[in-house]
Amino acid sequence: MVIARRLVSRLTLPVLLLLPALVIIAGLVGYPLVRTVYLSFTDTGLGELIYGGSTWVGLENFKEVFADEHLRTSLINTVVFGTACVVGTMVLGFCVALLLNQRLRGNLFFGIAVLLPWAVPALAASAIWKWLFDARYGFVNWALVNVGFDGFQDYAWFADRESAYVAIFVTVVWQSFPFVALSLLAGLQTIPKETLQAAAVDGANAFQRFRLVTLPLLRPIVAVLVIFSTIWDFKIFDQVYVMAAGVPDRSADTAAVAAYREGFALSHYGLGSAVAVVLFLILLAFALIYVRLVGREGEFS
Amino acid sequence: MRKFSVALATVLAGVVAACGGGDDNGTAQNASSDGGKAKLEGSISVWIMDPGSPKIQDVVNQYGTDFEAAHPGTKVDIQFVPWAQAHDKFVTAIAGGKVPDVAEMGTTWTPEFADQGALLEQPGITKGDYVSSLVDAATLNEKVYGKPWYAGARSLIYRKDYLEKAGVEPPKTWEEMSAAAKAINGTVKGVFPVGFTGLSEHMYLPTIWQAGGEIATQDGDTWKSALNSPEAAKAIDWYTSFYKAGLAPKASIGWEEPDAQTAFINGDVAMLIAGGWGYNSIIATKPELEEKIGTALTPTGPSGKGTAFAGGSHLVQFTESGNHDLGAAFVDFMLEADQLNKFTSEIGFLPGTTAGIEASGYLEDPQRKPFAEQLLNASAVYPPSPKWGGLEGANIFDGQIQKVMKNDISPQDAVAELAQKMDEEFAG
Repeated sequence: MVIARRLVSRLTLPVLLLLPALVIIAGLVGYPLVRTVYLSFTDTGLGELIYGGSTWVGLENFKEVFADEHLRTSLINTVVFGTACVVGTMVLGFCVALLLNQRLRGNLFFGIAVLLPWAVPALAASAIWKWLFDARYGFVNWALVNVGFDGFQDYAWFADRESAYVAIFVTVVWQSFPFVALSLLAGLQTIPKETLQAAAVDGANAFQRFRLVTLPLLRPIVAVLVIFSTIWDFKIFDQVYVMAAGVPDRSADTAAVAAYREGFALSHYGLGSAVAVVLFLILLAFALIYVRLVGREGEFS
Repeated sequence: MRKFSVALATVLAGVVAACGGGDDNGTAQNASSDGGKAKLEGSISVWIMDPGSPKIQDVVNQYGTDFEAAHPGTKVDIQFVPWAQAHDKFVTAIAGGKVPDVAEMGTTWTPEFADQGALLEQPGITKGDYVSSLVDAATLNEKVYGKPWYAGARSLIYRKDYLEKAGVEPPKTWEEMSAAAKAINGTVKGVFPVGFTGLSEHMYLPTIWQAGGEIATQDGDTWKSALNSPEAAKAIDWYTSFYKAGLAPKASIGWEEPDAQTAFINGDVAMLIAGGWGYNSIIATKPELEEKIGTALTPTGPSGKGTAFAGGSHLVQFTESGNHDLGAAFVDFMLEADQLNKFTSEIGFLPGTTAGIEASGYLEDPQRKPFAEQLLNASAVYPPSPKWGGLEGANIFDGQIQKVMKNDISPQDAVAELAQKMDEEFAG
């Protein structure tokens, strides 16, 4: 009895302190999530959204998501292109972090400079990169032609899905590597010098030291960064919305853009929600896999 | 004889009395409604499509200032919405219950939003007072939901110097246009003959009319696509032939209309399908082009017609608006002939009211005359179906046109597939 009362009084304060955050999360994340899932099982259009009266259609919308060529492609695009972006971001982030970790003059300056792309709003960055990749007046084509690739004279980057993805890939990686680089840099600086010196004394060369000492010690950070990057790059919207708008037959749309267009442009809110739910499930699956992997690492150590 | 004149007099008197009666009623009505709202007060928010030039924005902002000055105690908050996002923004606003009081709305969207019950019916519209095709475009089930603000149709704008260099006359027909394009391609270096894009249905859909086809036909309450026809296939074949032959920039497959216009301003494109507003914006951006460019009616297709799309805007009020009286007063203020012309003369459209057109002097200007003639004599509107706005919003046409441009599918298959998609939308 006394123990129970003490337990309640011990819990009251934490719960009270957490309550504001919980209310906000429930309102801003919980409600939209539940509503989206509900909508995905209905045939809601613009009229139903305003006046109510939508009908339950069961799994019809989800069948449509996988039957419709455009929506199916957009899901595949999301997974393939998203994965490519995660790999690109991690590789570039690692390279930059290792460079910044060297004791070089001006590293503070470079450290700050690296952050700048991250600070540019995604929409503005996309518009700027779209200009840089312009067929006739873009810097990229101009530079490539001057370096000797004459084929890039008037080259239309956004006339094909593949070349458009090259441009969007550059934009996404350019914007997302700073966070990864700085997080890894922080991780690198926590590695005790003694460990590395000991490895050097044992005869490990630079690459071996990186692979056998640095990388294992950084694994928890890398795992978290991969999860973050996956979530960000799979639900990528701005860059694709701006840069892939003219790609023939909208074949470069990702799931987030497809969901938005299906919902807001065509007023098929049910179907759009279904796309969003499928995207959510894909992200959940990836997140679970990573969490399991990280957890197992913890057990081993 | 005498009997006859008595009869005539009686009839005339009757007519006069009837007119007078009408007038009286009108005045009475005005008086009573004036009495009802005694004094205009409160504030309204107004959404105007971004005209893309600070100068024209100023004209619109001035409406707000002048109106506020004429009606102390009122406030008009004007916001500019980019065309490309406007449809989405209206949908979001209606769904979220945060509508503006007054808005400019593309004519093809008015029936769609009216069908949702979002728009206020506009009473007392007499067709003779407005450009009649625009009244049609605002009509749903015999009720009018928007007042025509301005209208325009696309014509041909070309570089005189490039055409001269290539030794061709401004094209009047499809054949001449194709021939001119080939001639320019061989002679004027670094210049593409046309800027036919993959993302502007107002460029390619009218070619279907020009070929003698229809876009959709109405049967009672329902619409049916008419795209699955040899005429439509021929039209798409002609439109895409330029891109396939390298007579349009490779990037133009992903261009929207403004991109083509920019290319024309930069001197990269010799012939452009654009409206009077495009002409004004070209001259405003690069005044030295005024002497180098010519204008002509849209080239005619196999049907002998050069029909263009009559586009424009309505001024609409929303049902959920909290201040209907002030909104209506502001709309009427913007539509006064002299106020209207301040805007239309800047933006390069024709006024949507008859009085406005008479006051515009458009027909006396040789460079701008083709645009007026195009609208008055050779233009048509898309099917005023509530579903049309959704079709446009989703750009269902662009994808198929782009596939034909890339040679992925034949024009016949493209129009057949489009017809099917349209019918699905019309039915759903």
